[in-house]
Amino acid sequence: MLEALVFLPLLGFLAAGIGNRAIGDFAAKLVTTGFLFVSALLAWVIFFRQWGGEGAYTVTLAEWFTSGTLSVSWALHVDMLVAVMLVVITTVSALVHLYSWAYMADDPSQPRFFAYLSLFTFAMLMLVTADSIVQMFFGWEGVGLASYLLIGFWYRKPSAWNAAIKAFVVNRVGDFGFSLGIFGLFLVFGTLDIGAILAAVPAHKGTTFDFLGSEVDALTTIAILLFIGAMGKSAQLGLHTWLPDAMEGPTPVSALIHAATMVTAGVFLVCRMSPLFEAAPAALALVTFVGAATALFAATVATTQHDIKRVIAYSTCSQLGYMFFAAGVGAYGAAMFHLFTHAFFKALLFLGAGSVIHAMHHEQDMRFYGGLRRHIPLTFAAMTIGTLAITGVFYTAGYYSKDGVLFAAYARSTEPALVAFSVGLFAAFLTSFYSWRLVFLTFFGEPRWAGSPHIAHAHAHDAHAEAGHGAHGHGADPTAGYHPHESPPSMLVPLVLLSAGALFAGLLFHQAFIGAGEAFWAGSLVHDPAFYAKLHEVPALVHWAPAIAMGLGLLLALRQYVLKPGAAEDFVRTLPTLHRFLYRKWYFDELYDWLFVRPAKRIGRLLWTGGDQGLIDRLGPDGLAGLVGAGAAVARRFQSGYLYFYAMMMLVGLAAAMTWLALKG
Amino acid sequence: MTLLQSLSVGAPEVVLAAGICVLLLVGAFRGDRALEGLSWASVLLLALAAVPLFDQAPGRLAAWNGLYVADAFSRHLKLLVFLGSAAAILVAVPYLRRLATARFEYPLLVLLATLGMAIMVSAQNLLSLYVGLELMSLSAYVLAAFHRDESRSSEAGLKYFALGALASGLMLYGASLVYGFAGSTSFADIAKAFVAGEVRNLGALFGLVFLLAALAFKVSAVPFHMWTPDVYEGAPTPVVAFFATAPKVAAMGLMLRLLYEAFGGMKADWQQIVLVMSIASMLLGSVAAIAQTSMKRLLAYSAIANIGFALIGLAAGTAAGVEAVLLYLLVYLVMTLGAFVALLMLVDADGRQLEDLADLAGLARTRPGIASALAIFMFSLAGIPPMFGFMPKLAVFSAAVEAGLWPLAVLGVLASVVAAYYYLRVVKIMFIDPPAGVVVLPGEQGVNPAVVGAAAAFSSPLGYLLLGPLAAWGAEAARALA
Amino acid sequence: MIQAAIFYLLAGATVLAGIMVISARNPVHSVLWLIFAFVNAAGLFLVIGAEFLAMLLVIVYVGAVAVLFLFVVMMLDIDFATLRAGAMRYLPLGLLLGAALSVELLLVASAWEAGAIAPSAPPRSGLSNTQALGTLLYTDYVFVFQAAGLILLTAMVGAIVLTHRERAGVKRQDPFRQASRTPAETIALARPAVGAGVETEGGVR
Repeated sequence: MLEALVFLPLLGFLAAGIGNRAIGDFAAKLVTTGFLFVSALLAWVIFFRQWGGEGAYTVTLAEWFTSGTLSVSWALHVDMLVAVMLVVITTVSALVHLYSWAYMADDPSQPRFFAYLSLFTFAMLMLVTADSIVQMFFGWEGVGLASYLLIGFWYRKPSAWNAAIKAFVVNRVGDFGFSLGIFGLFLVFGTLDIGAILAAVPAHKGTTFDFLGSEVDALTTIAILLFIGAMGKSAQLGLHTWLPDAMEGPTPVSALIHAATMVTAGVFLVCRMSPLFEAAPAALALVTFVGAATALFAATVATTQHDIKRVIAYSTCSQLGYMFFAAGVGAYGAAMFHLFTHAFFKALLFLGAGSVIHAMHHEQDMRFYGGLRRHIPLTFAAMTIGTLAITGVFYTAGYYSKDGVLFAAYARSTEPALVAFSVGLFAAFLTSFYSWRLVFLTFFGEPRWAGSPHIAHAHAHDAHAEAGHGAHGHGADPTAGYHPHESPPSMLVPLVLLSAGALFAGLLFHQAFIGAGEAFWAGSLVHDPAFYAKLHEVPALVHWAPAIAMGLGLLLALRQYVLKPGAAEDFVRTLPTLHRFLYRKWYFDELYDWLFVRPAKRIGRLLWTGGDQGLIDRLGPDGLAGLVGAGAAVARRFQSGYLYFYAMMMLVGLAAAMTWLALKG
Repeated sequence: MTLLQSLSVGAPEVVLAAGICVLLLVGAFRGDRALEGLSWASVLLLALAAVPLFDQAPGRLAAWNGLYVADAFSRHLKLLVFLGSAAAILVAVPYLRRLATARFEYPLLVLLATLGMAIMVSAQNLLSLYVGLELMSLSAYVLAAFHRDESRSSEAGLKYFALGALASGLMLYGASLVYGFAGSTSFADIAKAFVAGEVRNLGALFGLVFLLAALAFKVSAVPFHMWTPDVYEGAPTPVVAFFATAPKVAAMGLMLRLLYEAFGGMKADWQQIVLVMSIASMLLGSVAAIAQTSMKRLLAYSAIANIGFALIGLAAGTAAGVEAVLLYLLVYLVMTLGAFVALLMLVDADGRQLEDLADLAGLARTRPGIASALAIFMFSLAGIPPMFGFMPKLAVFSAAVEAGLWPLAVLGVLASVVAAYYYLRVVKIMFIDPPAGVVVLPGEQGVNPAVVGAAAAFSSPLGYLLLGPLAAWGAEAARALA
Repeated sequence: MIQAAIFYLLAGATVLAGIMVISARNPVHSVLWLIFAFVNAAGLFLVIGAEFLAMLLVIVYVGAVAVLFLFVVMMLDIDFATLRAGAMRYLPLGLLLGAALSVELLLVASAWEAGAIAPSAPPRSGLSNTQALGTLLYTDYVFVFQAAGLILLTAMVGAIVLTHRERAGVKRQDPFRQASRTPAETIALARPAVGAGVETEGGVR
């Protein structure tokens, strides 16, 4: 069953990828989506069996490689932690597949798109079910590849392939840390089997190694290296720059990869290796700080962005920060719970945004939206539910998980944890503000579509068609005569299902994920029931704080964007520096450009013109090619066709050999 | 040792010789219309002659007063030679018939050459070595000029004959020098006379050089290669397919046996000569092929380069090297045979053979089957993994590196890279260039498609499936020698 | 002593003849010099007491091969001047090559020491040269003897392949058919009407 779950997406990928145009759009879509739904069904079965106490197990598929003492096999491992991920991945993936039927309906290369989606899902499943860290790295790189392919799916668009390359390169920095971590693991533990490593952690606690003359704690180093890998994949502060750009990919991709699944791989890694991190307190503190900083940073940036997808992307970044600091304070269950609920409401928000974009003819700038609630009411409802969930309105999914994270930080009450708590609280206020800002800008107020080049473009087509019966102009009509239409059912069904998830996932599962019971996680991650019990005993002020922050954010957004339109512009005018700082994303891209990209390009250019062209090409390929050509010409001339010449060459060879031997001896 | 014993140990040759006489009589009475029947009978005869190879007791069996030996090495090479010859006989039938030169002597001449080769690889004496070589060569000269009415073919035969006679002269001269200094023509006695570590005997050394030169001529190693492109271009294509395969295998086998069994004590000296020939052959073969416009000339230079690669294993002078050479010969035989037979299947509307590279343009569209097979052969000859042709190259290179001759291996890899260029150019012409407008007719092809298919399967990655038994077989043969 | 004198005389003449073979301007002269070289070589065989080989050389090489050469050369009008024209360009290289080879062969000659040869198979007593050769050829060396026979067979087959042509329409005698034909198939009696003639071979005679 597990094998089927993991390999069905691969089959789908092969069928759609190899079949491509030969099998046609419909077959490719049907095969990939069908397989994914079967996978999702199996995932839920496995999830409930695990919940029922089936216990962890491993399915060995084949030997992979053996080299000296290093032996790695292909094996699928399942425990509660993995089962949660399986559910998230396959469910969201299946819904995204379905959603894409309509969203990508006009695309000329749909089989390729669906093949990539299935490939991604397979790689992600390999990542989470990995029994050895090497196999996890395989999946890790696999999802990176799929992400690259999907971000650059519209490869004719320069911004798309630029974003794809950026994502790949930035991830490479993280992957470098991850691979160093793998080397370290093998060095210290002598095995790459995750179970064996985790079992051996207590024995190696306190191991040190010599680095540049100073003793360094081995486990801390490894944990930090692994966390660097996680930072890259999960877009944490410093390595986050690729995620907003990744929004160049089709929106379903953003929902699947850059919101619900791949970016949470880092969180999963930390949770999967939680015994290791527990043994390295310094690394945990780093995780907490980085998580909290990301949560704050991304939330501030999200308040100023205009592109609807970028807002959600920064929101994702911020929520990932929450998960990390939850893990950092030792509340791995809370981190996983937030991951779980976040997958639902963030996928919902993205798919909702996709629905809006679909309705607005690929316009993504919120400044050209407005008043859409009357035109696309179902999308409006879905987006509102998503916003309720992400801001943590009572009894929605976000309410349980985000409060759980914040309470955990408070309950841990170490210094980093308290910093994280206060930062998280402020970020919750910002979250509420930018999320409602998005809703208000998009669905309320007057239509502002006229300025949109996309709409104008679309309309020009229509006007052209209507030119026959006289264009009497729409004058100052802010809708520019455009009528947004609700999306087709295949896009709405996933929205409805995800809405249900966003509303009820918290209510249903919070006892299990972050309750005081030991039973649910069954040892798949470090889970301290006593600590979780404290979550329910936080002071009343703390208990109500997230709700208050959320309420303040809502009120502020309401005032700025609904009650007093124009207030936002006034604010920008009063504090232009702050706004620009946030709008330019704290100048991270500029900094990196100045610090890395340009020097790298300069060095590259120098090596290219000086080293490659000047030295290697001239002496190497070009020179050799010329030499070979000249040699061929000489050989041709030697092959004169004259018998006596041939005979003489033989004698020359003979005499040369004899002379040489005679002189040598 | 009685005559009966000798007859039984030398059964393959005896069967062949007797069979040739019978078939010659049949041919003389039945005339040229017996060609097809004679061809199949010849293949049957070869199969019959191969039976004792499987049947003989393991180990060395001497016969004919020590002139002849049957061991694992000779059995290995004989089987290869018989295989190559049988293929050369069968694939020629449709060709000869198409060009109205279907004469019954063709299979018989191939059989006579095969008999010569069998004697060569079993030779234990300079005398048997020489008669074997001459028997093969004389048949080959006639075969090269088989299309006697075509000036190219006659020219090829004449050139081959004249230069071959020179090589024979060199060989006799060398043999007499060796006889003069060793006092015997038997390999065992020569080995006893020239033991390693003693004072270098210049006479024997020169004799060795002469012998090596003559053998190098047969395997077309540089600088004794000059005949190869001209003869390959002029001779009929099935004959070239024969030249490029079985005689090369036999001559290389003879060279191995002579150098190891008779001149093992002078290894340090011959190693250097072989080394230089190997480098020169690889480089010249790879570079000169680039400028060729005729497919047959291109394959001729390919043969020169490949012999250079095979000589690497000999230059290494180790058991692993011998093994590598044997594997190289085997795979090379199949690949080259396949390439030539595929070429043989390309006929234009007038029944003429297509031999120019330009004629292959767009072949992938007109004859996708042949084009894919040729592409496999080209990739395999270039030694590009995962094709099977990669394996023997790897084996000779690693043998060279193990023997400390890593510069030779580096040069070999370099030559492979250059060679890959022209092999891949053929693929490019077939698959990317627009069709040349030459109609390639399916026509009557006999067993050729089957031969090409089998060779292509062997040269493809499927060949690795056979690697285990083949390597074990080759190792056994190599052990018999060293 | 006298044996040595004769040896050097004959050997010198052989070498001289060899040089003349390749330097004579007239090909017929070349062949004649070749015959001279063969005869001298036969003399050398006689000096070491191999009278059978000497006779063979005279009969086969002089009597058959060389004479055949002579016929061929005389019948084919080969213009050696044009053939040589190209070769002359390589004369310096050729000379250099010749010099190098000669020096090396001299080196070999100096390296030869008497006694290095272990005399193989001492001649059996009581046998003439011819008998001794025969016993060796048909016993110890029967393998190479038979192989040599096959070489000759190949040469024969080759000669036929390369030169024999069946020309259609050539009138020639076929003794077998001639002898085996019967009156029934060759004689036909006819009684033609006056002025009608007899129809034969498609025509009226």
